[in-house]
Amino acid sequence: MNLIPLALYGLALVAYAWHFAQRDPAVGRAATTLLIAAALAHTFVIGMVTMEVGHLPVAGATSAISTFVWLLALSYLYVEMTTDERAMGVFILPLLVALQAIPALRPGIEDRAAVLQGPLFGLHVSSLLFAYASFALACVIGITYVLLFTEIKAKHLGFFYARLPSLQVLDRMNHRAIVIGWVFLTLGIIVGAVWAAQARAGFGAGDPRVQAMSLQDPKIFVALVCWAVYSFELFAARWIGWGGRRLAYLSAVGFCIVLLNFVPISYFLTRSHDF
Amino acid sequence: MNLLLVGISHRTAPVELRERVDFSARGVAEALRALAARGSTRETVIVSTCNRAEVYAACEDPGATRADVERFIADYNGVAASDIALHIYELADLEAARHLFRVAAGLDSLVVGEPQILGQVKDAHAAAAEAQCVGPVLNRVFHSSFAVGKRVRSETGLGAGAVSVSYAAVSLARKIFGDLAGMSVAVVGAGEMGKLTALHMKSQGVQHVTILSRSMAHAARTAEAIGGAVAAPWDEMDAVIAASDIVIAATGAAAPILSKARVESVMRPRRNRPLFVIDIAMPRDVEPAAGEIEQVFLYNIDDLQATVRENLARRANEVSRAETIVTEEVQKFAAWLRSRSAIPTVVALRQRFEAIRRSELDRLDFKLSTLPPEARARVDEITRLIVEKLLLSPTEQLKSVSDADTVGAYSEALTRLFGLGDARDGSRDGVDRKVEPFARKRPR
Repeated sequence: MNLIPLALYGLALVAYAWHFAQRDPAVGRAATTLLIAAALAHTFVIGMVTMEVGHLPVAGATSAISTFVWLLALSYLYVEMTTDERAMGVFILPLLVALQAIPALRPGIEDRAAVLQGPLFGLHVSSLLFAYASFALACVIGITYVLLFTEIKAKHLGFFYARLPSLQVLDRMNHRAIVIGWVFLTLGIIVGAVWAAQARAGFGAGDPRVQAMSLQDPKIFVALVCWAVYSFELFAARWIGWGGRRLAYLSAVGFCIVLLNFVPISYFLTRSHDF
Repeated sequence: MNLLLVGISHRTAPVELRERVDFSARGVAEALRALAARGSTRETVIVSTCNRAEVYAACEDPGATRADVERFIADYNGVAASDIALHIYELADLEAARHLFRVAAGLDSLVVGEPQILGQVKDAHAAAAEAQCVGPVLNRVFHSSFAVGKRVRSETGLGAGAVSVSYAAVSLARKIFGDLAGMSVAVVGAGEMGKLTALHMKSQGVQHVTILSRSMAHAARTAEAIGGAVAAPWDEMDAVIAASDIVIAATGAAAPILSKARVESVMRPRRNRPLFVIDIAMPRDVEPAAGEIEQVFLYNIDDLQATVRENLARRANEVSRAETIVTEEVQKFAAWLRSRSAIPTVVALRQRFEAIRRSELDRLDFKLSTLPPEARARVDEITRLIVEKLLLSPTEQLKSVSDADTVGAYSEALTRLFGLGDARDGSRDGVDRKVEPFARKRPR
C-alpha cells in the first residue's frame, strides 16, 4: 500500500528536478501538485493503518519511517507555501523517495508490542519524528546555503545563484528549523526517559528491551549525541557568533547522525528499541 | 483588415536620425491625432523610445497606408523623406506581429532581454487607447505582445542576470542579504563613482548611507547630493564599516586603504554578520586577500564586469527559447486573424435571419394589430429569441474555426445555403424575394 505514495513521490521528484533545471513555472506548479497528491495518498495510507490497528503507526521501525516521510513531506509543503520558494524541493524529495522505499518494498505489519503503551509513548515517538523532520529540512537548507555561498565566494554566479533564495533567508530558515527540531528532540528524549522509568517500574518490568533502555544502548546513546550536536549548534549561533557556513555544515552533520540512528541502528544494532 | 508596421530602430538608423524622429517630443497623443486626421489608418499605436520609433496600424489598403504613414513620419518630425527612406522598415500582418512580439520580449533591444521595453510597449498601447485610436486588431496584437513579454520573462532566462556593473552589485547584495530595505551602506571616497553607486543602492531601498572622505566638507557635499545620506570623518572609518552591511570603496588612493588585517579587526565585533565589499576603485582600495575572510564577500570592478559578461553570454543562450515563445504566440495570433475572416459571413447570416424575421412580422402585421401592445411586444421578443438561439451555435462554431480553408468552406456553404450573396452586398430587395417560398409553405 505504501507503493502508491512512493510512486507519487518519485514523480514529484522528477517534476521538482525538471523545474529546478528549466525554471518553468507550470512545471513548478505541477511538482507541488504531485507532492500534495503524494502527501494526500500517504495520509490515506497512514489513516487506513491507524484505523486498522487503533493507533498511529509508529511502533515498528518500518512504519515509523513511513510516518516520518509523511511528516517531512507535510513540513516541507508548509515551508514551500509560506515562503513561496520551490528550490528546496529538489533536495528534499530524494530523501523522501529513498526513505519511503523502505516501507514500500519491505512492508512490515504494524503490531504494537504490549509494552508500548500509554500517552507518553505516543508523545515520545511523534515528537522525535517531528524533530527529525525539522532536522532534515535544516540539513537541506544548509546544503543549499553552502552551494550558494561557494558560488558567490568563487565569483562564479551561475546555476544556484539564479535558483536559490538569498543567503540571509537560508541562514534564517536553517536556524528556525534547528530551534524547532531541538525543542522537539529535547521533549522526545525527556518523555522517553520518563516512560522508560515508568515501564521499568511497572508494566514492562519483565521485558528485556525495557531493561536495555540505558545509555549503553546505541540508539539512545546516538540520540543523546544528536542532542549534544544540535545544542552546541544553537549555543554557537547564540554565544560564539557562529553563522553561515559553519552552522550549515553542522546541520548536515547533525542530520547524518539522525539518519544513522533512524535507519541502520534501528534495524541492526539497538536492543532497546527493537520493536 | 491588415496589420502594418512602419518604423526605424537602433538596428536600422543611426542615433542622429533617431533623435530627430521622436514622437514623444511633443507627446504621443498629438502624433496619434495628427496621423488619425490623415484618415489612412483605422487603428494606430505609436511606440516611441530612444531606440525606436514605430507606427503600428490597422488599415484596409496596406499599399496606400504604407506610403502615407511613411510620409507622415517624415512630415511630422520635419525630416526629409529621402533621409529616412533608407532606414525605414515596413512589415505586414504576421511579420508585423512577430516584430512587435520580439520587441516586447526584449529580443530586439540594444541590450537583449532588458525589461523596460515591455513597460514602454504597454504605455504606447495605453496612450493610443486613451486617444481612442485602437480597435480589435491592435488591441489583440498588443495584448498578445504583453503576454509574450510576460512568458519570456517567466519561462526563459532572457532577462536574468544583471547586465550593468551597478545592477550586478545590487543583485549580488540582494542574493546575500535578501531585502535591502534595512541595510546600511558605507561609501569610502566622495567621488563621482561612489556617489552613483550609492544613489543606485538608495533607489533599491537602502536606508542608511554614510559617506567617508578625507575631507569632511567634501563628504558633506556628496552626502547632500545623494539626499538622506550622512557624512562621517575619515578616522571613524572602522566604526562606520563595522556598523554597515555594504561597503563601496571608491577612492583615488594609490595604495589599498583596507588591508586584510584591518577588515578582520572590523569583522570581529560583527560576529557572523556578512559584509559585502564592492571595490570599484582603480587602483584597488581593498586588499584582495580580504575576500578570504569567512563572511566577507569582496567584489572588485573586474569581478563585476566578469559577471556582467557571463550574464550577457547566458542571455544569448536563451534567445532561441524566447524565439520559440514568439513563434507560438504568432501562430495563435494568426489563428485569431483567420477566424476574423469569418466575421463578414457571421454578420451577413445574422442580417439575413433578422430580415426574415422582420418580413414575417410585417406580413402578419394585420393579424397582430388586434393584439394589445404588450402582447405584440412579446411576439417580437419571442421571435427575436428564437432567431438568437438558432444562430448561437453556428456563430460560435464559425468563430472558433482557426484554419483558413475550413473558414472558407464554411463561409461558402453558408453563403449558398442561405443565399447570403445578396445580403452581404446589403440589398434588402433580394431578402424579401427569397423569403417567398418559405412563406408559401407556412400552414395557414
